[in-house]
Amino acid sequence: MPPHGRWVDREAGPVVRPYALTGGRTDPVGDTVLDLIAVVAACGPAPVPTDSPGLSPEHRKLIGLCQLPATVADVAADTALPLGVVRVLLADLIQQGRITVLPRRAAASQASPDLLKEVLDGLRSL
Amino acid sequence: MGSAPFDAAAAAGLLTPFKILVAGGFGVGKTTLVSVISEIRPLRTEEAFTRVSTGVDDLTGVRGKATTTVAMDFGRITMGRLALYLFGTPGQDRFWFMWDDLSYGALGAVVLADTRRLTDCFPAVDYFERRQLPFIVAVNVFDGSRHYDPEDVRIALDLEPQIPTVLCDARQRSSVKQVLITLVEHVLVSATAGGDSRASDGPSAARRPGAADLPA
Repeated sequence: MPPHGRWVDREAGPVVRPYALTGGRTDPVGDTVLDLIAVVAACGPAPVPTDSPGLSPEHRKLIGLCQLPATVADVAADTALPLGVVRVLLADLIQQGRITVLPRRAAASQASPDLLKEVLDGLRSL
Repeated sequence: MGSAPFDAAAAAGLLTPFKILVAGGFGVGKTTLVSVISEIRPLRTEEAFTRVSTGVDDLTGVRGKATTTVAMDFGRITMGRLALYLFGTPGQDRFWFMWDDLSYGALGAVVLADTRRLTDCFPAVDYFERRQLPFIVAVNVFDGSRHYDPEDVRIALDLEPQIPTVLCDARQRSSVKQVLITLVEHVLVSATAGGDSRASDGPSAARRPGAADLPA
């Protein structure tokens, strides 16, 4: 990681402005902003045929990355695309029924004492 | 589509993600803390320069750009079916827009403090008190910096008595592990106390910079 935690120039990624990949859209469809640790999974196999309507190469890549359930943050880290772009693209795929958001066992903010104790045990055994 | 339906419930059992935030001023050691205990990964986010950034870190070379890509501290600790995600909250004022996003659904937060620049963690403390998100203060003890009594730090930061304040060395895995354990224990106490031990109701009195003066 560069000093100051900032990527510039080549390290900043593709020359294409990130939101060009979303057709300029900066807000996801349906006004659903996915939580960073929401778990998403593909509803079908990869690779998706390249002639599938409404799918960009990035969309298809995301479907490939979601063959196993993964958090939005992990998926974004795998693509090297900015988080905001990944959220827009994932929202497209959710709307198309190609990706689903898995129900969470518990909202972390309302985690049960049992679950918290499980986290504690896990940390202690690190 | 048209494939076998995904067994969502079963899959969800594979991974139960939790999120902990690591906040504090610029250069306080957040990156060090996250990387010493977790599998760290690059996560990029877009930053729009809507305001002129002055008085923060060096912007030479990026002046004039409307947006730039910044890296967030992001780490994952996998513990069986639990996955603990650590997110470093950006230290500079111009990243405030990201905090609500980061703190949504979080288990709690660690506010990392540097006794040489204690005022730097005021915004984080104020933010988590307002959000009523359980947090602890971990004082990063740098080499050569004076060792303070955590109690002095609590007084200087005007913290509620139930908020744990600990010393740590962000470079030491065992120390960081203890910080996380202290936080989750605090979350557990807060949860079982029905929220009584969380931040007091209403916004706290504004912190005065003078309050951060540690005893010489």
